[in-house]
Amino acid sequence: MSMKSCHTSLSPQAQSIVDVLSNVIDPEVGENIMDLGLVYGVEVNQNIASINLTLTSSACPMGEMLLDDIHETLTKKLPSELAFHINLIWDPPWDPDMISAEAKQRLGWD
Amino acid sequence: MRFTHVTSNQKISVKFRIPIFVMGFICLAFGIFSGLLRLGYAIPWLSDSLAISHGTLMVSGFLGTIISLERAVAIGKPWAYLSPVFAALGGISFIVGLSTFIGVALTTIASAILSIGTTYIFTRQRELFTLTLLLGSLSWLLGNLFWLNETPSGHLVQWWISFLVLTIAGERLELSRVLPPSSNSKLVFVLIITLFLIGALLATLVKSINVQILSVALLLLFCWFLRHDVVRHTIKQSGLTRYIAVCLITGYFWLLIGGLIGLFAQPLLFGSTYDAFLHTILVGFVFSMIFGHALIIFPAVVNIKIPYHPTFYLPLAILHVALAVRIAGDLLLHQTCRSIGSALNALAITLFIITMISAMICNKKKESVGMNH
Repeated sequence: MSMKSCHTSLSPQAQSIVDVLSNVIDPEVGENIMDLGLVYGVEVNQNIASINLTLTSSACPMGEMLLDDIHETLTKKLPSELAFHINLIWDPPWDPDMISAEAKQRLGWD
Repeated sequence: MRFTHVTSNQKISVKFRIPIFVMGFICLAFGIFSGLLRLGYAIPWLSDSLAISHGTLMVSGFLGTIISLERAVAIGKPWAYLSPVFAALGGISFIVGLSTFIGVALTTIASAILSIGTTYIFTRQRELFTLTLLLGSLSWLLGNLFWLNETPSGHLVQWWISFLVLTIAGERLELSRVLPPSSNSKLVFVLIITLFLIGALLATLVKSINVQILSVALLLLFCWFLRHDVVRHTIKQSGLTRYIAVCLITGYFWLLIGGLIGLFAQPLLFGSTYDAFLHTILVGFVFSMIFGHALIIFPAVVNIKIPYHPTFYLPLAILHVALAVRIAGDLLLHQTCRSIGSALNALAITLFIITMISAMICNKKKESVGMNH
């Protein structure tokens, strides 16, 4: 992955994007997409934010809507000089190990 | 000036999807009317002959269209949309009274394309849940091929049940991955699905309608859902997440009832235990799932937001109470209970659709007020 993983230290702008994404909830699971490990990377270069996302299933039809919703939320909540490049990617495939330790605890993992 | 770019797989215009979606709902409307005709309600402007198309309008015309449409959105390739188009046209051909062969052929083509599409998904993500979805699609195709071969409905309907049950089971298996892994949950799931398919095959081959093996698999699947479904976690949440969980749990209850009827009420009798077996699964289990997932899947397909509101519990409650009345009527051979229960089921589905449309309109108004300010 060429982008910065969300677990590494982020610039203030990237951190503000991560904060917004932490409030986007997957209604089927009741957890946010950051904690579920669906956001593979966030990077901001010269006011262009690149965000790589995945879904848990390639049979899920929610990809387009999720991207549109995220785009709408980001444009509402973040400064207008930022532009967004949001990509839905499938490589590497999502794996339960990508769930954050906090969410795992809430979901009953040891 | 802010510029943005959003990429996903190839986007097919929502304007193209909406007519397919609407055709699916036309099949649902006529599927409900045909069900009421079967129970003796008079609908003057409809031919009584539509009554025999109730099953195909509900399973293939409506559910086949919606499931293959959402699968096509996920695949994102133009060819994948041929499946819902053919499924909807198959349903419409029954409504307008074209020859049965045309309707069966169109539906069979739809299921073949869905199977190809789901194979494509399986090759992209080789997991047990995508394999289960593929087996579901192939079940629909197999049932339609039996139908094309003029197999009596009592001997092919289990493949339509298999299409819906395996599609839902595959999706629940996929979501269960967010829970702590269990060393044998996948193995048990594989054994249950294998038993289910053996049961479906036996029900096709034996002369009397016997779904006992299939029903044992349904009961085991109910136990698997209780043990491994994420609903154990989501029922403790609030709002939409909790509403979906309530839909799932009540749906699982009907799977249990259907399994018990199929196991202990042999031989199944038309107009009684057979109808009870079918409707516990196809209305109780399947429509509970639809009520739960409509608020996230329908917006994904037609790009119109349907915000959650607690009023969605009302049609759900009516659906389950009505089904309980209907199943009691089936088992006790009480025609009035059957008729009232079925009419209330139709009312529940209609009320659900009205609630969805109201929620959409309220949201649109809120958005336009927000833009004006």
